Amino acid sequence: MDQKDLLFKQIFDSNSKKIFHLCYGYTGDADAANDLLQETFLKVWQNLDKFRQKSLISTWIYRIAVNTCLTYLRSEKRQAKDELTDSIIESKTEEFSEKNEQIALLYKSISKLEENDRLIITMVLDELPYNEIAEISGISEGNLRVRIHRIKQKLTELYNQHARL
Amino acid sequence: MQDFENIQSLWQSHAVEVKISSEEMLEQAKKEVNSIRTKSLLNIGGMVISFLAISAALIYFEFDSWTTTLGIGIIVLAVAVYTILLYREHRLISRNDFTEHPGAFLTKLHEYQVSRFNLYNRLFWVYVAAISLGFVLFFFETLHNLDTWLQITILLFTVLWMVFCATILRRAFMKREKERIDLLIEKFQRISAQFNEQA
Repeated sequence: MDQKDLLFKQIFDSNSKKIFHLCYGYTGDADAANDLLQETFLKVWQNLDKFRQKSLISTWIYRIAVNTCLTYLRSEKRQAKDELTDSIIESKTEEFSEKNEQIALLYKSISKLEENDRLIITMVLDELPYNEIAEISGISEGNLRVRIHRIKQKLTELYNQHARL
Repeated sequence: MQDFENIQSLWQSHAVEVKISSEEMLEQAKKEVNSIRTKSLLNIGGMVISFLAISAALIYFEFDSWTTTLGIGIIVLAVAVYTILLYREHRLISRNDFTEHPGAFLTKLHEYQVSRFNLYNRLFWVYVAAISLGFVLFFFETLHNLDTWLQITILLFTVLWMVFCATILRRAFMKREKERIDLLIEKFQRISAQFNEQA
C-alpha cells in the first residue's frame, strides 16, 4: 500500500461515520447515504493533493459532502425527500419499538426542513463547533448562530407536532 | 413535549454503521467502469471467434465456385475491419484509471460515446452491406443444389435475421449503451464539478 492509499485509509476511517450520518440525515435513506458517502470520498481521493491544510481536513471533507448532498438529489432526479423518508419509515415497521419510532420521527422532521437547513442541523446535532459549521456552509458565524437558533426551534416544533399525531 | 437537547441525544443514540472500507469503496466505484470494459471485451471476443470460424471455413473447405470464396472473403474482411474498430474504441477506455485521472477519463469517455455512436450508425450500414454482399455470393454455390422451397426459406430467414439485427436489436443495444454511458458521464461530471468550480 503506498503513502496515498495509507493516508486515504486513515482519513476514511476517521471521517466516514460522521459523513455517513450527515448524508443519512439529509436523505433519510441508507442506500442514498451510501452513494453520497462514496461520491464524497471519491472526490477526496481524487483531490487529496489539492488540500492546502488551511483548514482541518475534516472541515474540507464536510464541505465536499455538503456540496455533494446539495447537487446529488437534483442531478439524479430522485424522488422527493418526503416520499423517501415515508417509505423508509414504512419499511421499518417490523423493527418497531418506541425508540425506533422516535428516530423515524426525527428523520421525518429533519426532512421537512429546507435542504441547507437540513445539513446545518445535522452538523449541529453531531456537535460540530460553530466556527467549523460556518466555514463549511460559507455563512458568517454571527448569521449562523441566528440561523441555527431558528432551525433548532423549527425542528423541535416539527418533531413535537409529528409526535402528537 | 421534547426540547432540542432531547432531540440531540436521540440523534446521537442512533448509531450508524458504515459497512464499507476505503478499499472496497474504491473497488466498487471501479466496478461500474469495469462492467463497460468487460462488455466491450466480450464484444471483441465474439467478433474474433466469428473471424476465426469463418476463416477456418475458407481454409478447410474446398469450394467449386469462385463466388463462394469471394463471398466468405468479403465476410471475413468485414468482420476483421469491424473488430479492429471495436478494439480501437476499447483502448479509449481501457488505458485510464478514473480514480487517478478523472478529467482525462471523462474526456475519453466522451470520445468513446461518440465513437460508439458512429460505429453503430454510419459504419454499421457499411458492415451490413458488406456482409449481405458476402452472403449473396456465398449462396450462389451453396444453395444451388437444394430444393426451391428450402432455398427460399434459407434466404428469407437470412434476410429477416439481418433486418432484425440491424433494426430492433441494434436500436435496443444503442439505447441501453447510451443510457449506461450517460449515467457514468453524469456521475463523473458531478464528481469533478466541485473542484473545477473552485480551481
